[in-house]
Amino acid sequence: MPATPTPAAPREVRLRDLRPSDAPVEFVARIVTCQRREVTRKSDGSRRPLLSGLLSDGTATVRFSWWDPPREGVERGTVIRAVAPEVGEFRGRPEVTFTWRSRVGPASEAELPHLDPAEFPRRSLRDLHPPDEGFRVEVRVVRVAERAVSVGEERRVVFEGLLADRSGALSFSAWSDFRLRAGDAVEVTGGYLRSFRGASQLVLDERTTVRRLEQADLPEAGEVLDAPPRSMARVEDEGGGASVSVEGRVVGLLPPSGLVYRCPQCRRSVQAGVCRVHGAVTGEADLRARIVLDDGTGAVTINAGRADTETLWGTTLEAVRARLREQPDPSVLESELLEALLGRRLRVRGTGSKDDFGVTITPEQIDSAELDLESTAEQLSARFGSARR
Amino acid sequence: MSFREPAWRVTTRELEASTEEERGSGERAASYLLSPFGGRLNRVLVAGTLSPAEAVGRDESQPFWRARLTDPTGSVAVTAGSFQPRAMAQLRAVTDPRPALVVGKVHLYRGRDGTGYVSLRAEALRSVPESEERAVLAEVVAQTLDRLDLLERLAASPGASEESLASDGTPRLWVRAALESLRRYPSFDRAPFRAGLAAVIRRVGGTASVVPPPPPAPTVRVRRDVPPPTRTPPSAAERAEEALVLDLLDQVAEASLDNYADRRELLARVSSQGLGGSRAEEVLTRLEEDGVVEEPIVGKLRLSERPS
Repeated sequence: MPATPTPAAPREVRLRDLRPSDAPVEFVARIVTCQRREVTRKSDGSRRPLLSGLLSDGTATVRFSWWDPPREGVERGTVIRAVAPEVGEFRGRPEVTFTWRSRVGPASEAELPHLDPAEFPRRSLRDLHPPDEGFRVEVRVVRVAERAVSVGEERRVVFEGLLADRSGALSFSAWSDFRLRAGDAVEVTGGYLRSFRGASQLVLDERTTVRRLEQADLPEAGEVLDAPPRSMARVEDEGGGASVSVEGRVVGLLPPSGLVYRCPQCRRSVQAGVCRVHGAVTGEADLRARIVLDDGTGAVTINAGRADTETLWGTTLEAVRARLREQPDPSVLESELLEALLGRRLRVRGTGSKDDFGVTITPEQIDSAELDLESTAEQLSARFGSARR
Repeated sequence: MSFREPAWRVTTRELEASTEEERGSGERAASYLLSPFGGRLNRVLVAGTLSPAEAVGRDESQPFWRARLTDPTGSVAVTAGSFQPRAMAQLRAVTDPRPALVVGKVHLYRGRDGTGYVSLRAEALRSVPESEERAVLAEVVAQTLDRLDLLERLAASPGASEESLASDGTPRLWVRAALESLRRYPSFDRAPFRAGLAAVIRRVGGTASVVPPPPPAPTVRVRRDVPPPTRTPPSAAERAEEALVLDLLDQVAEASLDNYADRRELLARVSSQGLGGSRAEEVLTRLEEDGVVEEPIVGKLRLSERPS
């Protein structure tokens, strides 16, 4: 790498080091996503083709815009060499534009920068946020399961689960089979973070490498799943996480709770017979409870589905519907649900996400956590007595 | 970012002892009741024995019910109106004293003489088996002791930063509340309150019997920080004025549906008998200060059952 770039010879850079500047640069990168469209010029109304999308070289991902791209031969996965692109900035992140001044051509895989894992800074899970990439983490695979999904026409298998280190836990999805098993300690290099349903997720794609670790300072899978509950004040501070455990009492229900009707296609709740996406539909009955759980330091919302609601309520969807036929007042049902839940002490583990209203937990497990009165009273007297001096 | 107010676990004594308030400014700002024991209370969870509710107010389109919740440390009024239909239905369903949990918002009413009166507007309540009441009281004691310990630590080292305290797991909310509590109640003796928690622990352990139901007459508890100045005994003319006001109060109360005399109506009648507005107010205030007349609900007067 030349120490002082001259205008004549563009300096080759990695995307990680790309900064808005007038000095010419060049880089090799792969097109991660792209979209072709035509833009109408304001000056003469003529139409001009534009290809835009994301480029990545494994160290960073940047947005690109390519005016007058070749008609074909450029698609997702193509590796390109770009010489003298315009480097700008949008919301603090660099982006590149290929204009008539730039030279862009195909390149081979081998020309992509060779990345030594040591070059990727090591990070801990808690410090990772979308759209971070170009890092490595040492993690324990807490659990993993495969799921078949359809991407457009294509059927693909995605591996999903939970990773953890001493700083916290993070859910992941892998688009290739890295042969991950629960309990494995691994080093993951070259993944990236995305936001999925309001929560962060680590994505392992075909550019990611996974190396097994013989020994590492990592929590055991069981430790993560059976972690003691954290105070709600802390959960509110930290904004949830992929595996949160809390304990508190039910202090209220948020609407809609009780009997709800869902769109048969997308499972969204139906308001007055209309689905937000699919229009007028015949809703399917379902049970849910949006429980406000509070431990005195803070409160979270628990989004309980049908199975959990049935267990907590001690009734079934069928029984509820039968009762509704006898007494057609759904608000009575909500009162009954509140009556069944108010004040109960629950321990909940699940995935937390935070928005402007607070933390919501999608539960994986809900258990009753009532106190043992005798031993609690003894502990309290011991504490009370000892402090009296 | 304003998250939901947590339900502070408190004893009724903590509510009774709270006389300081923090009013939020701006739209939809929350108000807080600051307690001497480290609470910055908006929503609370209390447990105890709930007495049967009585209807207050006489406007039938605006029903309003009130009961008292008693725990081993004291008691607090629990109210619910038509804006809390579910809680109101629950409150009305209580026909005899029974263990209950109440989640509600605290409300401080300050009389004209500055007397504070805390009540609890119920958001949700439920009568529960005794074991559940005791379990909630266990949480109340544990968290109250936590807060008292925090106050002690803060009083001992006033320079301690919020960060350093929060790092050991103390909620920031509690630290801020405790600092404000120390500031607002600078010379409060917290020891008697702490000692009173022993009764709650006995209740948790089941060694204390059920809290007896509260006395039936809910009255304003008068607390004065400064003893009232001694006054010269009323003159004959003043006595005549008082008699007139009390007479009319009886009449107005009798004619009403709820047996309370509406304050405005009373003043109107008094003034029609020749006793002018500000003079009538003075007489009424004196009667209230002497404990002859009480105002258990804003704007509703009645004769005290036990005049002092």
